[in-house]
Amino acid sequence: MEITIKIFRYNPEKDKRGHHEVYKVEGNENDRVLDILENIKGNHDGALSFRRSCAHGVCGSCGMRINGRNHLACKTLVRDIGAEITVEPLLGLKIVKDLIVDMDPFFENYKEMMPYFINDSPLPENGRERLQSPEDRARFDDTTKCILCACCTTSCPSYWANGNYYGPAAIVAAHRFIFDSRDEAASERLQILAETDGTARCHTAYNCTEACPREIQITKAIGEVKLAQVTGTLK
Amino acid sequence: MGLSRNVSLWTGLRYKGQGPYLTFILHRVGGLGMGIFVTIHILASFLGGEGGVLVNSIYENWMFQIFIFFCALFHAINGLRITLLDLFPKLIEHEHEAIWIEWAVFLPTFGIAVLAIVTTALGG
Repeated sequence: MEITIKIFRYNPEKDKRGHHEVYKVEGNENDRVLDILENIKGNHDGALSFRRSCAHGVCGSCGMRINGRNHLACKTLVRDIGAEITVEPLLGLKIVKDLIVDMDPFFENYKEMMPYFINDSPLPENGRERLQSPEDRARFDDTTKCILCACCTTSCPSYWANGNYYGPAAIVAAHRFIFDSRDEAASERLQILAETDGTARCHTAYNCTEACPREIQITKAIGEVKLAQVTGTLK
Repeated sequence: MGLSRNVSLWTGLRYKGQGPYLTFILHRVGGLGMGIFVTIHILASFLGGEGGVLVNSIYENWMFQIFIFFCALFHAINGLRITLLDLFPKLIEHEHEAIWIEWAVFLPTFGIAVLAIVTTALGG
C-alpha cells in the first residue's frame, strides 16, 4: 500500500521557520511510524532527523506528535492511524532540528523532584534490604512504569502556556517516591510541588493520561499528590 | 539556536485530545463568557442613558442569553465534576464515565432552558 506521510522539517542552519514536506512511500499496515521514518531517512532523505533508540517502546526516545496527538513512533501502527500520516515534533519544547526537541528543560524539571531513594535511617539489624509489604509496593506501582518520553508533559496545555510548570512527568516521578513506604523525603517533595509551578497548575485536561504510551493513570497520580498536600497524609 | 517553545492558541486547539480536553476548552470558554457578561453588565450600569440602553440590548438579547446560560451552566457542572474528582482521586480512573454523566446532566438542562428562552423571546 502507498503511505502518504507529511513531516515537519526545520533546519536551523537554513530555515527561519519550520515547514512540512510530503513523502509517498510503500509500506504495509503492520508498519510502525518509526519504520516509515527509517525508510525515508535511509532511502529518500538522509537529512531527516529524529530520535530513536530501542524501537520497542521502552526507551522513550521517539515521542512525537502523530496525526495531532502525542505517541511513541515505535508503538504506532499504520493500521491504527491510516495511510495519511502527519508527523510533527512535541509541543512546548524548543525544536532543535526536524522532529528533535530540546529535552533539557524537561529533565531539569524531573531532577527537581529528587527522583531517587532517600532514607538516612540505619539499615535493619540484619544489614539487609529494607522490606516492604506487597500492599505498600502496589501503592506506587503504576508510576514506576514511566519511561520519560515526555509525551505527557508536552500534551499538557498548562505546560504549553508556562514552561516553568514542572509538568506531569515530573509529578509522576515525585509520586513514585512520595508514596514509597521506605522513602523519607515525601514532605520535601510535597513542599516543592506546593510551589506556584507545582500541582496547582494541573487543570485536569487529562491529555497526559491519554498520551501516555505506558498507560499510567497520570491525572490520578497528580490528584493523589494534591490530596496528600491538602490532608498531609499518604494513604 | 532552534525554534521557540511557544505554542499558539490555534496549535493548542488543534491538539487531538479527547472528551476531557474538550471539557477543558469549554470550561475556559465558559469562564471567558461569564467575564464578558459581567463586564457588559457593569458597563451598562456605569454608562446609563442611551449608551446604557444600547449595551443593555446586547446582553438582554435572547441569543446572548442562550450563550451566557451555556457558559454559566457548563462552567458550574464541569467545575463540580473537577471538584469531586479532586476530592476523590481514585475516581479519576473513571474520568470518561464522569464526563458522560456530565453531558447527560448538562444537555437536558440546557435544552429545557433554551426552549424556555426561545419560547419567551419569540412567543412574546
